[in-house]
Amino acid sequence: MTKILRVAWHEYQQHVYNKRFLMGLLSVPLVVLVMVGLIYIIISMENNTTPLGYVDYSGLLVAPLPAPAPEKPDKPVPILPFETEADAGSALAAGEIQAYYVIPADYLSTGSLTVVHMGEVKRPARQQFYDFLSVNLLRDTDPLVAARLVEGAEVVVVSPDGSRSASSENWFNVFMPMIAGLGFVIVIFSTGGYLMQAVVEEKENRTIEVIITSVSPNQFMAGKIIGDISIGLTQILLWVAFIAAIVLVGRNSIDFLRGIQISSQTLLLLGLVMVPSFVMVAALMAAVGATVAEAREGQQVTGLISLPVWIPYMFMAVIMKNPNSPIAIGLSLFPMTAPLTMLIRDGLTILPAWQIALCAFIQVTSAVAAVWLAGRAFRLGMLRYGKRLKWREIFVRS
Amino acid sequence: MPAIELTHISKSFGALKAVDDVTFSIEKGELFGLLGPNGAGKTTAIRCMLDIFKPDSGSVAVLGGPMTEAKKDRIGYMPEERGLYQDIPLDRCLAYLGSLKGLSQAEVKQRAEGHLERFDLAAHKHKKVKELSKGMQQKAQVIATLLHQPELLIVDEPFAGLDPVNTQMIKDLLREQRERGVTVVLCSHQMHLVEELCDRIVLIDHGKTMLYGLLDEIRRKFSGNAVLVRADRELPSLPGVERLEPVNGAVKLHLAAGTKPQDLLRLLVSKDIPIERFEIAMPTLDEIFIRVVQSTPKGQGEGGEK
Repeated sequence: MTKILRVAWHEYQQHVYNKRFLMGLLSVPLVVLVMVGLIYIIISMENNTTPLGYVDYSGLLVAPLPAPAPEKPDKPVPILPFETEADAGSALAAGEIQAYYVIPADYLSTGSLTVVHMGEVKRPARQQFYDFLSVNLLRDTDPLVAARLVEGAEVVVVSPDGSRSASSENWFNVFMPMIAGLGFVIVIFSTGGYLMQAVVEEKENRTIEVIITSVSPNQFMAGKIIGDISIGLTQILLWVAFIAAIVLVGRNSIDFLRGIQISSQTLLLLGLVMVPSFVMVAALMAAVGATVAEAREGQQVTGLISLPVWIPYMFMAVIMKNPNSPIAIGLSLFPMTAPLTMLIRDGLTILPAWQIALCAFIQVTSAVAAVWLAGRAFRLGMLRYGKRLKWREIFVRS
Repeated sequence: MPAIELTHISKSFGALKAVDDVTFSIEKGELFGLLGPNGAGKTTAIRCMLDIFKPDSGSVAVLGGPMTEAKKDRIGYMPEERGLYQDIPLDRCLAYLGSLKGLSQAEVKQRAEGHLERFDLAAHKHKKVKELSKGMQQKAQVIATLLHQPELLIVDEPFAGLDPVNTQMIKDLLREQRERGVTVVLCSHQMHLVEELCDRIVLIDHGKTMLYGLLDEIRRKFSGNAVLVRADRELPSLPGVERLEPVNGAVKLHLAAGTKPQDLLRLLVSKDIPIERFEIAMPTLDEIFIRVVQSTPKGQGEGGEK
């Protein structure tokens, strides 16, 4: 066991203290930061806090109530009254206001009003003026009723067993399992790639012959896989920590971030489906490393292995339309497509317990088979310098 | 009890018989030479000893029985194809390889320091292995092989790529190991070094054992009917001598059938020729190697090593 851990620790060190790993590690936070930055820039461009003006001929806005506070990240826009359109026009020309609304005397019967502006009035300012108008139209109504009418209804969609719910507050949660699955698959294949490359390099630089006179091929392979999974988990934990920090900081400024959460079912799937998938892919990558003659050839074979994993994305529309369709269930029960399919479906439907159990069983069995295959491929292929081991030999030779 | 005992082992790769019914044993504490031309089956035999390959038939006993994981910590192996991690510093590489032989980090550090000093690598220990010269990497590989103080040392071409100073250093080191009681298996093409270091040898060609035993006995067996004579004057024509051949300041006299060295000695004394040296002419290991290898059919064993 000690030697397995020593191999694992070496594997871990060799990759985690590597520039390539650091680049991969920083890529997600960088993408998230860029996305947050873009959202911030877009919101800032929308948020024009130059006052709005209005000229009221209807008499509805005499001694008006103030506009309700806008939802974050929208910023409050002052709303100023003008006696005449000429006054408002002068203020607009002077740049003191961004636009002014003219509320005609027959507004109540026609519902039409006029807006005069130099540039387009963006949604946050427009919404605040409409809220201001609504609040004042409803000023004689029961305040609770008025507030309800202005804010609108929050419809919460709940699953029959009560385990799932969705609303406009937490719509993003539908995508959370999908994003978690995607993150996991990226990590599984990137760390699997490191493992494959490490095995090929050990063959290429002949280290393997020294190593296997110190540890058994099975110990070596087990250490490699444990090391690989530890690298992946490190990557995932750091990404999760970073994203959690972004959510915690961002929730004060962006309302929808408050509703973000990962359900217990998603966590269960990550444990039961993703972890064995991780072991399976790591073992397959090690097997590829042991069978090929050089790293470039290994990358080509890896590409072929990773292809089926992305099939669920090709059927995304079908799965989203009917997450319990036969094709969705079929993809959930095939080892290479199960990880992403199960997590896409998890965001959209209640997964039957038998499907989760069967999928987990298939993934664990596949992982065990892949480890066996890797051990065998490694034993037969480790000393094939510059010569590829045929897959047929793995099954035929004793 | 021999340190290694190979009994009638055979190993084939497809149609190619890399090792064919090879039997020999290596005694504890001896410096044993394993010889053979390229593709003769030496590396396959070594891999069978180390349990990297299972022989198709025959048996291998190492340190008193079949190979076990625990025994691996008592064996040091330096393959012909050198294998060190290129992208990590030398000290980390040694620490990892030492740890796989069961050493603690403190033991590795302590032992590596001494070896690095001796091999003049102390100043380079923080450099990546790939930044070291070929000779330095060779010495680093020797350190990695010795770090855990093995009882059985198998070294394949340890002198390849070394300058005379480092060759001498490795020779001294191998002798030291033997004096410490370590069994050393030396696999080399440099016959003069094998001749200098080993007491017993086995020569494999085309997967078969061609020669096996004490080096002196083998040389005697291959010595022809010739003597080496050095005199202070040119030798006259002598009856019973077929031809004369100058060899390093002496003359090799090839005797005719029926003529014994004692007859020649008596003749030289009777002619009052002052003799400075008179000895039975023994062939060098190089000569024996070439004679044996050239006398066996070609083609069969080419590329036999995997």
